[in-house]
Amino acid sequence: MSQVSIPNIKIAVIDDDLLVRDFMVTVLMYCVNRDVLSFDNGLAAWRYIEDHESPDIIISEIDVPGLNGFELMAKFKEKSPDKKCLLMSANPSNEQPARNSGADAFLAKPVTVNDLFSVVETFVVKG
Amino acid sequence: MIKLGADSVEMREMSDDDIFSSRLKLLIIMIKAYLKDCPLGNYRKQAIIENANQVFYHSLQLVSESSSLKDHGIDVQTDIVSGEKISAEHMFHQRVKLLAVMAKAIAEDRSMGSFREKAITDNLNKICETLIFNFQVRDVDFLKVA
Repeated sequence: MSQVSIPNIKIAVIDDDLLVRDFMVTVLMYCVNRDVLSFDNGLAAWRYIEDHESPDIIISEIDVPGLNGFELMAKFKEKSPDKKCLLMSANPSNEQPARNSGADAFLAKPVTVNDLFSVVETFVVKG
Repeated sequence: MIKLGADSVEMREMSDDDIFSSRLKLLIIMIKAYLKDCPLGNYRKQAIIENANQVFYHSLQLVSESSSLKDHGIDVQTDIVSGEKISAEHMFHQRVKLLAVMAKAIAEDRSMGSFREKAITDNLNKICETLIFNFQVRDVDFLKVA
């Protein structure tokens, strides 16, 4: 019998590309068997985070309208320093800035189902 | 910071084909997990239905694009080799559409006898052979809990 467990976790995905965003929500919702929040811009995500309990994990595209991924992460980490922020991008020049600004992970597009499984195994699953 | 995803030299925006191929692989994983008795919670069922709908819709689009080529006088079946290729592609997309319907039936708790399970397994195997996709549920522990 498996010893792992999935805690009651709240994940938010921020990407202005509807197809990518919906794909990520589907994979993550399936993996954790919990609802997954999604936003098409950084400002909408931040407004939600300000008014509600912070998600445990946010996964944000860097190049999104409103607040970009770096700006959103800075505000999110200031409010909830213990929670995880994963940044993603199709641009390799964003990797080093993501590392420097304190992202917990960098997802290099195109991401696969296995990459998202790794996110769940690394940041969600206990045991 | 950990890095996941593509190698730096291969980074690019995700195309419709990337999404379709990833969703199809996810659908295969979902059905394999079901066949291995992994638990299905409400959100997992919702995710299966959403994924099945997307795969079905995209596959339908690909089939109609292929028909539309023929409607525009582009007859790619003039030689035997391309005829066989079109036929194999057509069958593949029919199998994918069937898989999507099967996945929805699973998520909607439709009754599942041993013959239906065998049909699902056969269809899954044929699709995996075409894709050269090998995924083992036992490698992903969290699928065994909900």
